[in-house]
Amino acid sequence: MTTTPTRKKRGTLRAEFGSPERRTAYYMILPALLIILIVAFYPIGYSIYLSFFKATIGNTGNFVGLQNYADMLTNSNFRTGLSNTIIFTVVSVFFEFVIGLAIALAINRAFRGRGLVRAAILVPWAFPTVISAVMWRLMFQDQIGIIQYVASALGVVSEPILADPTLLLLGAILVDVWKTTPFMALLLLAGLQTIPGDVYEAARVDGASVVQRFFRITLPLLKPAILVALLFRTLDAFRIYDLFWVMSSRELESLSTFVYKAVRVSQLNFSVGNAAAVFIFVTAFLIAMFFIKVLGMQTSTEE
Amino acid sequence: MTDRVEGVAKNEATAMVQRGINRRDFLKLAGAGLAGASLLGVAGCGGGGGQGGNGGPVEVTFATTPDPTGTFQKLIDQFNKENEGKIEVKYQQAPPDSSQFFDQLRTEFQAGSARINVFEGDVTWPAQFAAPGYVADLSDRFTQEERQKFLEGPVQSNIYEGAPFGVPWRTDAGFLYYRKDLLDEAGLEPPKTWDELKQTAQAVQQSAGTKFGYVFQGADYEGGVVNGLEYIWNAGGDVLDPSDPNKVVIDNPGAVDGLSIERSMVEDGIAPKAVSTFKEDESTAAFLNGDSVFLRNWPYVYAQAADPEASKVKQEQIGIAPLPSVSGEESASGLGGWNLMLNAASEDPVQDASYELIKFMTAPERQRTLAIEGSYLPILQELYDDQEVVDAVPVIALGKEAIQNTKPRPVSPYYSDMSLRMAEQFNASLDGETPPEQAVATLQEALTEIVKQGQA
Repeated sequence: MTTTPTRKKRGTLRAEFGSPERRTAYYMILPALLIILIVAFYPIGYSIYLSFFKATIGNTGNFVGLQNYADMLTNSNFRTGLSNTIIFTVVSVFFEFVIGLAIALAINRAFRGRGLVRAAILVPWAFPTVISAVMWRLMFQDQIGIIQYVASALGVVSEPILADPTLLLLGAILVDVWKTTPFMALLLLAGLQTIPGDVYEAARVDGASVVQRFFRITLPLLKPAILVALLFRTLDAFRIYDLFWVMSSRELESLSTFVYKAVRVSQLNFSVGNAAAVFIFVTAFLIAMFFIKVLGMQTSTEE
Repeated sequence: MTDRVEGVAKNEATAMVQRGINRRDFLKLAGAGLAGASLLGVAGCGGGGGQGGNGGPVEVTFATTPDPTGTFQKLIDQFNKENEGKIEVKYQQAPPDSSQFFDQLRTEFQAGSARINVFEGDVTWPAQFAAPGYVADLSDRFTQEERQKFLEGPVQSNIYEGAPFGVPWRTDAGFLYYRKDLLDEAGLEPPKTWDELKQTAQAVQQSAGTKFGYVFQGADYEGGVVNGLEYIWNAGGDVLDPSDPNKVVIDNPGAVDGLSIERSMVEDGIAPKAVSTFKEDESTAAFLNGDSVFLRNWPYVYAQAADPEASKVKQEQIGIAPLPSVSGEESASGLGGWNLMLNAASEDPVQDASYELIKFMTAPERQRTLAIEGSYLPILQELYDDQEVVDAVPVIALGKEAIQNTKPRPVSPYYSDMSLRMAEQFNASLDGETPPEQAVATLQEALTEIVKQGQA
């Protein structure tokens, strides 16, 4: 569907559908479009529609306008979930990025056993989140947990980690950094490898220092890869569910756990939970738009 | 009708093989296939719980959570043999996680499915399924007279707006486990009041060097609700007005006392701070590891102590008592366990056949088998004096008093919502984040709102 940029807005429609060849082309993609519409847009549209009704799991109920959203915003659990999710997303993605970039730079060099190291750092990422959440919960646990033991012995914490919401959130951030930094490193490494070596060579000949080379060459050329990696991780972190649910044994609230409790466990909060689900969708969409429009992320390799 | 569509598809397909498939024919075939599949789907939905047609046995599908002892299957086989040619029960295993089972049933019932005809449900389910009309009213079948033979607590859990919607079939109750050996050594009796428990715990902790005095379940989950309720009940409080289930009464001095006592366990150093993260497993581990003098838990712990791999403490070292109360008078234990319920969407002969199965499963003979072979606690009064049962399952004799004095959690069609809020507030109070007065005030408001929403 490439359009020549010189064409004027008026007459576009006719130009698009006028020629029989183009019409055929549209007919051909119609089934695919329909499938996308049914599979992707219908459920989203229906959720949004439902969010304006006092729906239960069984029926649609009365039209209530924005009441569900108002209820959602005044719900204290939703607010806790929102602030936890924002803190979690910002802090964990920041550390994952910094550490991931360092790792990527380190393993971008040629050294003996590089393949092995690359494979090894991926291990935490390859674990199913639920498994690592259970594993870390045991390590944080009060009676047999090594982390709790060491932290108490050093006098860092006096409370049981799993009983303190702040420590729990810190713990969740730590586990997420442990788990997804490798993924970040891998994405950045792929980006680093597309930077041709002769650029560095030229810079070195011109007398650029290591720091200059990093800020003037590596970072700008790595920008597309960085943006993709950040967007992926931000959206992932924003939807965090399994880690919170399992590691804190449902005590730590995120936006997604709020939605789950509301639509699956509760029988009365279905409509509020649905509104929150729409809220997550819209917010995630806005985050993606921010990356694409404001930060100038490229969505395709075409010029 | 399905046959016809499939017939068309079949003919088309044969024709195509003969002349080679072209695209239009392929689309036609695919269309017919789709139509056939959707018809099959519709037929599949409506055809659950078949009647067996003329003369054949009535088919009944029975679902329970997994039974590792194999006793359920054995009893079903026996039932099928006795009713050969008349009723055929198919056993269906449900997910082990009860909330997942609940969710699955709710989804099916809401779609009017009669795939499952009889099922076991947690004691908190009857009202939740009865209010939307998913389970059958058993007033005519499970009569007043019948109910007399059963333990009172389990029967009460089935009553919604005056009518029974289920029949108890295995029960559970909260026990106070204590280290008999350590108490004997110190010359102390099992405590009747919470104060005595604290004193005893402190004395034993000092003399025997036990790490904790008392462990229980304080995490933010259903078990935390049961524990919190026990503290409230045994201090004279309640959640809903017993005579009017639409009236929330949790903001009362008894409830504040109850939660204050629970919190004081941590403040006085009797229970570890981490008790607010403990579920059954963590608390049991502490006790069976020899780290605690007292434990509140369900009956199954006693059997675990028999396994030296799982327990450093031997069965002989453990005693069982009813939970303490404030006054030292009779205390209430949180009721657990399972009831049998009938899917209201099953058709007539299936409905009757299903109830036959319930009658069979709750008869004294089968209850005895369940107890002796599966260690399930029976729900019939008479079996608690049955020597054979008591000998085979010692926990029945040890915990008799607690089992007979159980109290169901609030009976409400919106129990799940109430439970979420109670779990959160009880946990916050135990953690010391929220003073008990504030927790009950918050709950008074939240639960009233839930009742109101439920009536709207």
